[in-house]
Amino acid sequence: MRVRRTFTAISVSAALALLAGCAPTQSAPAASGGDDQTGTLRVWLFDEASRAPKEAAVKEAITEFKAAHAGVDVDVQWVPVEGRADKFSGAFNDPANAPDVAEFGNTDVASYAQTGALSDLTGDISSWSEGKDLLPSVLDTAKSGGKTYGLPWYTGIRALYYRTDVFTELGLKPPATLAELTDDARKIHAAKPDLYGISTGGKYTYALLPFVWANGGDVAKQDGGKWTSTVESAQAKAGITAYANLLKDDICPPAACANLTGTQSVTAFAGGKAGMTIGGDFNRKAVEQGAVKGKYAVVPLPGTTPGSVAPAFAGGNLLGVFGASKRHGLAVQFAELLAGAKYQEKMYNAMGNLPTLESVQKKLAASDPTLKPFVDTLAAGTKFVPSTPGWSKIDSQNVLPTAVQQIATGGKDVDGALADATAAMNKNFG
Amino acid sequence: MAVISARSTAKSTGRRRVRRPGRLVAEIITVVVAGIVAFPLYWMVLSAFKPAGEIQTANPKPWTLAPSLDSFQRVLTVSGFGRFFVNSLVVALAVVVLSLLLSFLSAVALTRFRFRGRTVLLVMILVAQMVPVEALTIPLFFLMRQIGAVAPAFGLNELGSLVLVHLAFSLPFAIWMLRGFVAAVPVELEEAAKLDGASRMRFTWQILFPLVAPGLVAVSVLAFIHAWNDFLFAKTFIISKTENQTLPQAILVFFKPEETDWGAVMASSTLMTIPVLVFFVLVQRRLVSGMSGAVKG
Amino acid sequence: MVTQQLPVAVPAPPAPRRARRRRDGRAALLYLLPAGILLAALLVYPIYQLVLISFYDYGQPQAAGAAPLVFLGFDNYAALLQDVQFWTVLAKTVGFAAACVVGSLVVGTALAVLASRVRAVPRTLLFLAALGAWSTPAIAGSYVWLFLFDTDFGLVNEVLSGIGFTGMAHHSWTFGTFGAFGLVAAEVIWCSFPFVLVTMYAGIKAIPAEVLEAASLDGASMWRSTWAVVLPMVRPLLMIATIQSIIWDFKVFTQIYVMTNGGGVAGRNLVLNVYAYQQAFAGQEYGLGSAIGVVMTLLLLSITGLYVRSQRRSTAWL
Repeated sequence: MRVRRTFTAISVSAALALLAGCAPTQSAPAASGGDDQTGTLRVWLFDEASRAPKEAAVKEAITEFKAAHAGVDVDVQWVPVEGRADKFSGAFNDPANAPDVAEFGNTDVASYAQTGALSDLTGDISSWSEGKDLLPSVLDTAKSGGKTYGLPWYTGIRALYYRTDVFTELGLKPPATLAELTDDARKIHAAKPDLYGISTGGKYTYALLPFVWANGGDVAKQDGGKWTSTVESAQAKAGITAYANLLKDDICPPAACANLTGTQSVTAFAGGKAGMTIGGDFNRKAVEQGAVKGKYAVVPLPGTTPGSVAPAFAGGNLLGVFGASKRHGLAVQFAELLAGAKYQEKMYNAMGNLPTLESVQKKLAASDPTLKPFVDTLAAGTKFVPSTPGWSKIDSQNVLPTAVQQIATGGKDVDGALADATAAMNKNFG
Repeated sequence: MAVISARSTAKSTGRRRVRRPGRLVAEIITVVVAGIVAFPLYWMVLSAFKPAGEIQTANPKPWTLAPSLDSFQRVLTVSGFGRFFVNSLVVALAVVVLSLLLSFLSAVALTRFRFRGRTVLLVMILVAQMVPVEALTIPLFFLMRQIGAVAPAFGLNELGSLVLVHLAFSLPFAIWMLRGFVAAVPVELEEAAKLDGASRMRFTWQILFPLVAPGLVAVSVLAFIHAWNDFLFAKTFIISKTENQTLPQAILVFFKPEETDWGAVMASSTLMTIPVLVFFVLVQRRLVSGMSGAVKG
Repeated sequence: MVTQQLPVAVPAPPAPRRARRRRDGRAALLYLLPAGILLAALLVYPIYQLVLISFYDYGQPQAAGAAPLVFLGFDNYAALLQDVQFWTVLAKTVGFAAACVVGSLVVGTALAVLASRVRAVPRTLLFLAALGAWSTPAIAGSYVWLFLFDTDFGLVNEVLSGIGFTGMAHHSWTFGTFGAFGLVAAEVIWCSFPFVLVTMYAGIKAIPAEVLEAASLDGASMWRSTWAVVLPMVRPLLMIATIQSIIWDFKVFTQIYVMTNGGGVAGRNLVLNVYAYQQAFAGQEYGLGSAIGVVMTLLLLSITGLYVRSQRRSTAWL
């Protein structure tokens, strides 16, 4: 009896407290930071497949930066791309403890802008000596609502990596269509069971999207400012199905591949475990240093008809400065140093990614033939994910990967999985 | 362990059942089970000492002829591993000491004193143990931010915030456990102390506290493990100050699907397990009696 | 400090019992204050906030203070209860927790009985092993088990394929729904049965030797004396162990998060705790995540409440 009375007492007081109803706590809108000239600059950069070269280039920049600014230290934290959402959430919720500079993907610009935690860098870019050299189309991806939230650091374009030795041995030619790609992948896995035909993981959204786009579909459309999901359209369905079919026992067994992310898919290829993969320009050095050195080549990912190129995702990473940074000036200077011509070139040498400065890109494309497949892909036309805050949520809730995994593992049929995905997407678009 | 066993042999099982034929079978089963239970630990330590070629192999062997410290070397050269280790230790020890003091006081109040609302408090303490603390990450995050504005050492990004949350989460169980133990100390003892002129405060600290030592041991073990194990709060609260991270993050560095450095993961796991094991061994003689004390209430 | 705030000039109460009660009350307040403040601030207040947040549309912009709050009432709960995935996750959580609870209780109790009947050396070995498992941090334990059951480098697959199960050569234990849950459950039982073992062993040791002697003189077999004499006598302990196991196993987070890589393929190995965390932090739906937390707390409360109630007659637990 006593116990029951106690429970009643507790629930009544809880109800009363609720009725008193004060709202839950919120952060104060991001406080404006300061402009200290000394101290530790905290920087978040993305972890990559085989990070060492990137780390070396960044270390060099840090050394140079520290030499130019006495009393300044730079602390770099490597953030895994897939775990970025909770990490950045923390930083947005507590601006006082956020880093000063952070690398982030252009797909997140709209949603990060919405939190008001990032500085508008429009003024800084116009007064930056190298700012005019930025490719306008790339700079556009850093904008949301007329403000610029990051310095474009590099452009990420993905293409098809394949094993030249395996293709020669099996008498295969680089695939001319996506259907051929599937056939080739199947042949590779049949002939060499230790190799995945193509390593494209279930959590690799940016490998999935070209399949959707090549089939003439898209993930969402915009009507009068409102986005709605279109993954159930016949074209999108065809693309997603084609992609999910790669995650089958005869190509890339789902037990191993269904949970792979983009980074892991590329790592598997670099480690000599796959016949093909879809990888970015920024992965090239990692592959070059892997077990497949000298045994691979890159071509644009084919479309559905011979000679066509599947539209690639116009990815790119930016360097943003947090508004609450106590060292705003230093933060901007460090971002400008990393994004400047000198370190763009060094980053290119370290990782092979496409620079965002026009002069650097032209110079490198002319001198380095390995860039050709990526530049060709770029020239064939790229596409972008819906630029709305809702997309970041769809992305971090793994909506599309879940659908692909369900289809690949037979957990749900195509229609069921895509119906769920549509519902989840439309909910997030609001 | 030796103490427990020696004492209990003398006390009960004794010579009485020496001739039982079933006992040998039971003992064989016991030893086999002990082997199975210990095996994952053996495998962890073994893999930590294996040279690189013997770890990532399709034919793992349950021994190694060429033990090597390479994996430990890789772990220890990761920037900050020692620092992370010290951080974890500081947090765990602070939680242990504080939770002992606070839970002891509360347990005394809840068992030795009669006052209104005692039952309510007890039920609340039981309820508190059921709250999924992971769900509280959200409000706690904001609370720590507010606390940080007043007392920076306990704000986000600082070890103090971790001490506070783990203290709060260890307390309900600690109080719950100590309560039974305090209750087991005869009331007559208190009366006698009172007659001798000891104040209540003095009785509590000088007589009661040492008497419930086994209970305190059990509580400290659980509080230590709780704080030491934490993965989620360290991950959420320590936002950008790398130097304030704790051990689990150090292990995560080596664990990446498709390119996991298993040798390093096992070596860092071994290093992470050692302090808890040491702590256990230090307090083990009191542990069993501590557990039984918890029930006598 | 607080005692001073209370009315000091209280007239001497007539009955000595009331005097003691009042004096006790004040001392109790003093003793309870440090823990009380801490728990109020770090447990009660956050729970209150949790409930509050669950009634709001509380996403990233709202949390960062960049967008106004919208009161939703029970909308988050309604959305949750209509969500098929929530029910699936809930069912899996209950099943998983039940398996872990039963597993650790059965293993722990059986071994405690066994330990009370063997000589010192085997018992010491068993306790050493159990303490070792107990002291392994969740994250380290998860990795060791993952490694033992690794697809390519794991000992288990090697042994199984070595003794004839060739199909197990490259079997992925973490891929299938049941395989993954089973593996995690095994790890959870491995590191939580020692608590039950030590508790129950302590209880068995506390049984007066005469009782057991009497049972054996009456000709009761080992099995029968365990079942009819020992277990009833350690029932209060068993209850504590059960409640603790329910509380712990229902809230398993690290093991699922680490071993199934955040909930398995397409989230089929999610349990409520991980699900709530992902909704809240990765999915930026703090309101919904809080609602899951509230539901989970209520669920745990009612399960343990029912259990305590069913056992109350035999134990003076408060």
